[in-house]
Amino acid sequence: MHAILPGQRNGERNDVVRFENVGVRYGSGPEILRDISFELEGGSFHFLTGPSGAGKTSLLKLMYLAQRPTRGLVRLFGRDVTVLKRPELPPLRRRIGVVFQDFRLINHLTALENVALPLRIAGARKEQIEAHVTELLSWVGLSGQVNAKPPTLSDGEKQRVAIARAVIGRPSLLLADEPTGNIDLDQGLRILRLFEELNKIGTTVVIATHDRSLVSTFRRPELRLQDGDLTLNRPAPAGGDRLRRADPLAGA
Amino acid sequence: MFHRSELQLNRDSARRFIPFMVAAMVYLATLALAGAVMVGSTVDRWSEGLRGTLTVQLPGGRGDSSIAETAARTDTAVSLLLETPGIATAQPVPASDLETLLEPWLGKGNLPADLPIPVLIDVTLESGVRIDLVALQRSLSGAVPGARVSDNGVYLERLVRLARSVQLVAGVVMLLVALAAVAIIVFATRAGLSMHRETIELLHLIGARDAYIARQFVTNALWHGLLGGLIGVLLAAATVAALGVIAGEVALPIGGMQLPEQISLSLALWLVGGLFIPAVAGVVAMATARLTVMRTLRQVL
Repeated sequence: MHAILPGQRNGERNDVVRFENVGVRYGSGPEILRDISFELEGGSFHFLTGPSGAGKTSLLKLMYLAQRPTRGLVRLFGRDVTVLKRPELPPLRRRIGVVFQDFRLINHLTALENVALPLRIAGARKEQIEAHVTELLSWVGLSGQVNAKPPTLSDGEKQRVAIARAVIGRPSLLLADEPTGNIDLDQGLRILRLFEELNKIGTTVVIATHDRSLVSTFRRPELRLQDGDLTLNRPAPAGGDRLRRADPLAGA
Repeated sequence: MFHRSELQLNRDSARRFIPFMVAAMVYLATLALAGAVMVGSTVDRWSEGLRGTLTVQLPGGRGDSSIAETAARTDTAVSLLLETPGIATAQPVPASDLETLLEPWLGKGNLPADLPIPVLIDVTLESGVRIDLVALQRSLSGAVPGARVSDNGVYLERLVRLARSVQLVAGVVMLLVALAAVAIIVFATRAGLSMHRETIELLHLIGARDAYIARQFVTNALWHGLLGGLIGVLLAAATVAALGVIAGEVALPIGGMQLPEQISLSLALWLVGGLFIPAVAGVVAMATARLTVMRTLRQVL
């Protein structure tokens, strides 16, 4: 199905992400990630879990091309990122939406301008941008803060702006680092449902989270990082069904 | 919407000094350039006046008897000169003109009667002709003892050499100033890249090309270059104009040479310079900023 763990081979499949024996270390320190091998099929949805410092952010960084592996092979959309030339990076990055843990909003730009950034960079027309962005901002509950600047927004609002920015370009791969860390349960569920909607139309989704309740509510496979090693946990069907029925938003 | 750039370089306090630095550089370069142009045009004027001319000097005398002798010697010399192939005219400088030339030193009407004043003969050569000065000197000395031929071309050559050296120095000054301005832009751009590292990384991660980021630095540098260039040219024009006014108050009694006409440039030249120099400053700043950004970003992922 989705993640294929070490030892498995995949020649013809539609892999969006593929790691083979990937290791990451900073300087001469110990390896943060060790021999990580997995593949994410196009259209899959995974949670990435693990204790703090397990390397979740490092793994995401490899996937959103903020860093190259110290060793091993990383392929994104069928391209080996370790040999990519500089001009080949932007088109690949435009296919990836990222929700950063620290939001990374530009403080002197309005919420609208922050969300519009990926479209603007990709050269979209102004009218097109404005209509899309306004609609998305109202979807994430920020219709009243379209012209507000990040310093005047609460953490939860900033997070929703960051999420809107990550999904505005309908990315093929969506990576979110603790996207619900600063918002209440209802908002969190609403955001996760947005990610599910995107996933339904083909976006591959990886969500790094500490929140066990999200993982159990949404019954999605879980990539678990512990001590630099990665394991895959699939949801138990029965428990998942029960949880899904318990989800007030399910089927809404 | 979208009027703001992501980096807002014009808000950086460290970058606000750049137009003034550029203005100072452009000011110095413009003064050097104006100096070189003025020296060039002065030399051209001298060349026009002196090219193809000789001056012959005969010993003069005062007193009744010597006036007649002097006139005879002058006639001999003039006819000898006119017979020499290649010489177009030979015209003795009137005694009154010579007295005028001496006035600044001796005062009007104070010329002692017994002061022997040499006779000067202005000689013009036919265009393009070079004559044998040694032979001319020999035949003139034979006819009029004490006659001396001065070739103005020799003075002119030395003056031109001096002027060209001054122009060369001005060129070196302009080059150094331009290099210093380029260095300022390079350092300021690198500082800007470092200061906005996080935003630039974000822009990269959401798919911006280096050129997209460079454009913001380029626009900023173009504006700084144009503004600094304009301020520098205006200050230089004001300086030259002020020097011209001060020079106008100096009366130089040397061969009709006037300082005001030396220390000034035509309005047309200033207009051309006023457009051209800021444009060059802008383009140089722009190219420098782009090159710096592209080279620096190449080192990041």
